[in-house]
Order: sequence, then C-alpha cells, then structure tokens
Amino acid sequence: MTITLILEQIFNGLQAGVTLFLVAAGLTLILGVMNFVFLAHGAQVMIGAYAAAAITNATGHFYIGILLAIPLTFISGYLLEYLVIRHLYRRDHMEQVLATFGLILFFNEAIRIGFGPAALFSDLPPSLSGFVEILPGVPYPAFRLWVIVVGLCCALAIGLFVSRTRTGAMLRAGAENPEMAAALGVNIKRLFRLIFAAGATFAGIAGMMLGPLTAVQPGMGEPLLILSLVVIIIGGIGSVRGAFIAAIIVGLVDTVGRVFLPSLLRLFFDQATADGAGPALASMLVYILMAVILIFRPTGLFPAKGRE
Amino acid sequence: MAGILRILGIIGSGMAHNRMLWLVVAGFGLFPIFTHVADLPFWNDLAMRIMLLGIAAMGLNLVLGYGGMVSFGHAAFIGIGAYCVGISQYYGLMDGWLHILFALLACGITGLIIGVLALRTSGIYFIMITLGFAQMLFFLFVSLENFGGDDGMSIDRAEFGIIDLYEPLRLYFLIWGVLVLVGVMLMVIVRSRFGVTLQAIKSNETRVEAMGLVPLHYKLVSYVMSAMICGLAGALFASWQEYVSPDIMHWTRSGELMIIIILGGLGTLAGPIIGAIVFLLLEEFLPLMLETLLPAYAENWMIIFGPLLVLVVLFGRGGLVGLINRIIDRLKGSSASRGRS
Amino acid sequence: MTAPVLSLENISKTFGALIATSGLSLDVRAGEIHALIGPNGAGKTTLIQQIYGALSPDSGSIFLNGDDITSLSVPARVRKGIGRSFQISNVLTGFSVLENAIIAEQARRGHCFSFLSPAFSDASLIAGAEQLLDRVGLLARASQQVAALAHGERRMLELALALAGQPSLLLLDEPMAGAGIEDSQHMTQIIDQLRGKVAILLIEHDMDAVFRLADRITVLVEGQIIAVGTPDEISQNQHVKAAYLGDDS
Repeated sequence: MTITLILEQIFNGLQAGVTLFLVAAGLTLILGVMNFVFLAHGAQVMIGAYAAAAITNATGHFYIGILLAIPLTFISGYLLEYLVIRHLYRRDHMEQVLATFGLILFFNEAIRIGFGPAALFSDLPPSLSGFVEILPGVPYPAFRLWVIVVGLCCALAIGLFVSRTRTGAMLRAGAENPEMAAALGVNIKRLFRLIFAAGATFAGIAGMMLGPLTAVQPGMGEPLLILSLVVIIIGGIGSVRGAFIAAIIVGLVDTVGRVFLPSLLRLFFDQATADGAGPALASMLVYILMAVILIFRPTGLFPAKGRE
Repeated sequence: MAGILRILGIIGSGMAHNRMLWLVVAGFGLFPIFTHVADLPFWNDLAMRIMLLGIAAMGLNLVLGYGGMVSFGHAAFIGIGAYCVGISQYYGLMDGWLHILFALLACGITGLIIGVLALRTSGIYFIMITLGFAQMLFFLFVSLENFGGDDGMSIDRAEFGIIDLYEPLRLYFLIWGVLVLVGVMLMVIVRSRFGVTLQAIKSNETRVEAMGLVPLHYKLVSYVMSAMICGLAGALFASWQEYVSPDIMHWTRSGELMIIIILGGLGTLAGPIIGAIVFLLLEEFLPLMLETLLPAYAENWMIIFGPLLVLVVLFGRGGLVGLINRIIDRLKGSSASRGRS
Repeated sequence: MTAPVLSLENISKTFGALIATSGLSLDVRAGEIHALIGPNGAGKTTLIQQIYGALSPDSGSIFLNGDDITSLSVPARVRKGIGRSFQISNVLTGFSVLENAIIAEQARRGHCFSFLSPAFSDASLIAGAEQLLDRVGLLARASQQVAALAHGERRMLELALALAGQPSLLLLDEPMAGAGIEDSQHMTQIIDQLRGKVAILLIEHDMDAVFRLADRITVLVEGQIIAVGTPDEISQNQHVKAAYLGDDS
C-alpha cells in the first residue's frame, strides 16, 4: 500500500464526489424548495450521457458532443417540467413517487428502443486520454482530472449563484420555509422551471462526464440517484452547501472503502471471501455512515433553518 | 368459549363490511377449479404470485394507507423473510414453520430498528431514509458470499409437517391460507381501537397528541407489524420461487408495492390484492398485447406502463376500489336512495 | 382560597434577539375564566405553547394542580389535565363528527392499544361520545362528515375534543377567530356554561366576548404582564388604556 495508491484513490473519491454533487445539487433544491419527490433525476443523468456519446460518435468530436448535449439536457428538463412535473406539485408525496417512478420506466425503455439494450461507447480526445503527473512520479488519468476540474467549476458556479444572486436568495428562503416559497406567487412558476431545467442540466453534465468512465446504458442513472439521495439525507434537504460537503464525503468513503476494505478484510478472512465481500460491504459503508449521522442529526448535517 | 364467540362475531361483522375483499379472496380459493377445468396450470402460478405480492402490499398498506407513512423500503422486509428461508436451509433447517418464525422475528427486529430511526422524521425525509436503509440491507445480502452474494442461492420448498409442498396445489393453498389469515388480521386491526387511532394520526397528528396519546408509539407498532407481514410474504415467496437472491429486495420492488396499493386503492382492505391482480396481469399481458400489435416492441412494454402510472396519478382517484365503489353507488343510486357512507 | 390550577413562575423564553416571554408569573384559579389579551406580537400564543408543552421555556417553572410539569411532553401534560383548542380549527378530517368524539373518548379512557374490539361500534364509547357532543350542541350533527360542517360547528367540535379528556385547565386560542356574530354568541354561551367546571385560559381578540366572559384579565405587552384584574379594573387601568385598549378602540 503506497502513498501513490492512496493519493490516487483520494483523487478518484474526489472525482466521484463532484460528480455526485452535480446530481445532488439540483435534486436537493427540487426536494427542499419545491417539496417534490423526484425519482427520475437519474434519467437526466442518462439522457446527458447518451446525448453526449451519440453526438460525439456522430461528429467525431468529444467537445462538440458535450457542448451540444448541455443545451439538450436543459431543453429536456424544461420540457419535462412543462409537460408533466408541474401538474404534480400539488399532489401528495406518494403520488409523486408513483408518477416519477413511471417516468423512470418510460425513459429507460425509450432509450432502450432508441439505442438498443447494449452499452454505448465513445472515444476520448487524445488530449484527455493520457496521464498527467499530479505529483512527481504519480501519474493520474487526464480525463478524471478534467472531470474533477469541470465538476469543481460547476460547483463553484452553483455556489456563487445560490449565495450571491437574488434568485439564489429566494431559493435559500424557500428551502428554509416552503410556505414562503409558495407565497412568492407568480414568480414561483418560473423559478421552479428554472431550478428544474438547471438541475437536469447539471445531472446531465454528470452523465456526460461519467459516460467515458462507466458504461452508457439504460438505467445507468439509478445507482447515482440513490447515492445522491443519501448525499441529500446526510447534507440536509434543500442545502446546496450540505450537498457539496456530503457528496465529497460519500464519494471518498465509497471509493476509498471499495479499494481498501478488501485488503482490510483480508487480514481477517481468506482472500476469496474478502475480495468477494469487500466491494459490497464498501457499498454498505455509505449507508452505515447515513445511519450513524441520522442517529445524531435526524435532519442531516446542514438542515435548512426553520425545518424540523 | 364466550371469548371465541366474541372474536367470531367481530370477524363476521368485519366481513360483512368488507365484501369486496372476501369476494376476491374466495375467488382465489376457487380459482384452481377453473384452471383445472380449463387446463391452464400456468395460471395457478400467476395466481400464487399475485397472492404473494398482494399479501406484501397489504402489509405495506397498513403503514402507507392507514398510517400515512410513505415507506419506500418495504422490499427489504420481503428480502429478509426470503433469506430467512434460504439461510435456514443452508444450515440444514428445512422446517417451514421455523422459517416463518425466523422471518417474523428478523423482520420484527429490523423493522423496530429502522422504524425508531426513520420515524423521528417525516415527509420527504422519511421516504428517502426508508429507501436508504433498504439499500443498505440490499448491499448486505449482495456481500454475503456464503449465501450466493449477487447470484443468490437455489433452495427447496420448505417442509410443513405432513404437507408436502411438492404435491400439486399444496403451496397454492398454503399461500391462500396466509392470505385469509392476513386479511382477517388486518380487517380486525383496522377497525380496532388501535387501527382507528392510527388513522386518526394520519388525519391529524397534532390533534391526536392533544388527546394525550403519543403518535410515535402507534406508528412504530404499525411499522413493525407491516414489516412482519412483508417478511411472511417473503418467506413464502422463497418457497414459491425455489430461489433467493438480492433481486427480491431491489428498490424497484418497493416501488412496485406502492404502485400496487395506489392502483388498487390506498387505505382500503381490498385495494392491495386487487392492485396486485391488475399489476401482474398488466405485466403478463402488456407484452403479449404488444407482440400482436407491434411485434418488434414486445419487450418494451414499460414504454406503455410508465406513462400509464403517470396517468393513474393524474386522473385516477381512489384507485380501482374507489372506482368500483363509485360504480356500485351509481347503480344503487338509480334504483334506490343513497345508503352508502 | 384553593390552590391555583395553573401557576407560572418566572418563565422566560427568547428566540434569538426576540424576547417572547420575560420573567412572567401568572396564576389561573380553579373554575375561573381567565382571559389573556394584548396587542399582536405580545407573546400570547408563545405563552400558551409553553403551558401546553409544544415549546419549553428557557427558565422558570410551570405547575399544574401543584405538580411541576415544566419538563413534560405534550401528551403527558394532556394526561395531567390540559385540554386545548388551536388558532386554526384542528379536528380529525376524514371522519364523522361522532367518530371524532369516539376517538377522543377512547383516548381519555387510555386503552388504545387494543387490536381486537371494533372502536366505532362500541356501545359504551358511543354513549360517552354522544354525551360529549351534547355538551356543545352537536349531537344532531353526529353522523355528518367533518368536511360537511360549517366553520362554527367545527369550532364546537374542536371544543368537544378538548373537553373529552376532562381537563382541569382548558387553553382556548382565539376560539372566535373567523366566526360570524351568531357563531361568536353561541361560542360565548357555551364557554360561559363551562364556568366553574373547568379553569379556562382564553386568548381572544373579540373584546366584547372577553369582557363578557372573563372573571379576570391579564394584559400582556412585549412578553410582560402590565396588569391583572377584573374586567372593571382592567377597563379603568390607565396603563392598559395607554398601552393597548386606547389604540384599539
């Protein structure tokens, strides 16, 4: 176990964390400000990944793929809100769960019909496919580094937007007190549509960046959706700052646990058992973390004020 | 003796008030005659699956429909129940009664722990936390390499004394018997002082508190009971499937249970079982329908089912039980004065 | 003179920089109707919430019939003898009027952890519930769904639910709010009939009702008591006129 490996895993955790944050940022506002249980946020990740991969394959240019996919995800989020979601705001949580569960089924199946059940692959540009030395003698995949940088830039933009702008102030007020959000009146419709489309875009960006790292396939967003729900539970519903910190924690725990837990288990069990159980136990680690935090802080680390 | 008569009286009056449930249950009791005459043994299998999911959904309905707690993690209890059978068999215990006892105990204890933690919150938090715990248990079973890990484990049907579940229809009527039992139990509970208090809490927790009751106690007890009912369904599920894997407790199954309840009618006794019939028939026949209409897309029935769910939410009120009641009301209304409440 | 039903000793409550209750002491005597008045933001509802147990004071003690209840939860205080109506009427929707009363009645009897006997067909529960409804004149409406009730009737039902626990102290938070003249008169009459049977702490903005009903009035301004006395004394009090009544009338 070398310093190199540890450093590499910390960077991988960071990369997973920022990606997770991009999914969780919009979702925490949808849950907290709009008080809307939206399960199909994972589909936005998938749509982003497919849009980028398909355009990249068609044009042969990765950056064109990304640049065209971003507005596409915005439009898809905007349309989804306009066509379906806005009719569901006044429904109770259970009905929202049901309807958005139906949307998941629909999107997964639509993608399967459009692109087939197999995974979609696209090539990285040469500039991103090599390695970069993050420290002398410590090479790190350039693309993952790029993901971290882009993710942090997005996070910074989201953070500045929420903390510095008038709309951001409205969002924070809305998260602290959902009734107050409702009292904002006519503006609220535009605000909700904006959160929704922006949330979809960032989730889509997460998908675009994950695409080359994992498989672009139907249902790829769901594991990310559930992890980002855990992030939101830990961070506190409606808190973008909480989502960021929790996403980094979850990303690190998940990634670092996955690598080091098997070797830790190997101290107590035979190699086969340890290698088999390690990754799954590592996936449990995140939920154990969630349970422990819940025992001490039932509303997460950074609950929006005014919420119980 | 007087006590037994009293209980029978309670059950009888309850049955008179819930004819729809008992009509459906009786229908399942008679169904094998139909499949025998029509020579469609495959349909018995489907009926068993419907009853199993129906039992689980009835369990969930106690907290969801009567208690107003939107639990998104009840598949975990089905899984625990099923793994109690699998793990018992792994260690050579074949007695089905023991399996059921273990399933009830394990689900009761897990339900208590999750309930204590999750019921400190409400609303969206509760939904997500129950989902989170279910995922945790899912990954726990994925990690248990001894019991098949991701791939699961093959098992035999359990042994219930002289009843050999490999004989035709024995398993069918075991499941049916449990359906009757769970139906009677829930029917009595829902009308009891406890059940009424639970529904009052769903309606207005602040008012129930102002009556000097502690809502958490009632919610927790109902949560544990519903977990145990799902565990019971899970134990039978394992025998029916002769196979257990983490798949049985995938989070989408929690969603399915919720779909079943809302399709059938939230907070009604007959709703979950009627919802299970409709859900599984759709799952069975939508692909067949597509195969005749659009052969190329036979596999893609979800593309219809997904939007169907959205439409049910947007336009369906009170589920199928509500719809049936409205039709009965209209029929009665045209012939006699209105009598239903 | 008998011991007071409710006794507040030097209680204080602040929310950040806002002082909601400031070293307040107050007695409510057995059987009296005690009105709590004051301008908006004087801390009346905050005070009621502390007596009820939904908020806990930062310092000071609350005694009910001589027992210290400062650290008890809401349900525990209710079982000790506090009944309450809320500012926005608070009944069990989705049930009939009789069912509301039955649930309250069985809660009083304290055996709700019974899984067998049907609640709504229990003869003794129904009898108790009907008696309860009779007290507020709602017996004729027993079979109605709550949703079908008029505003005033809902208020009456809520009062019945608050009385169900046979409380020694009744907290009424603006029972006339939103009511028409007729409803107000009816409510005044019903509350008047409770005089002597249960101690009542009443918050109300309708000054006619307050001066007709109250045995004593406490005037609260900025979390502090500026006067306590009979309606006559209060209406003569120069401080009160200056601080409150003068602005209003």
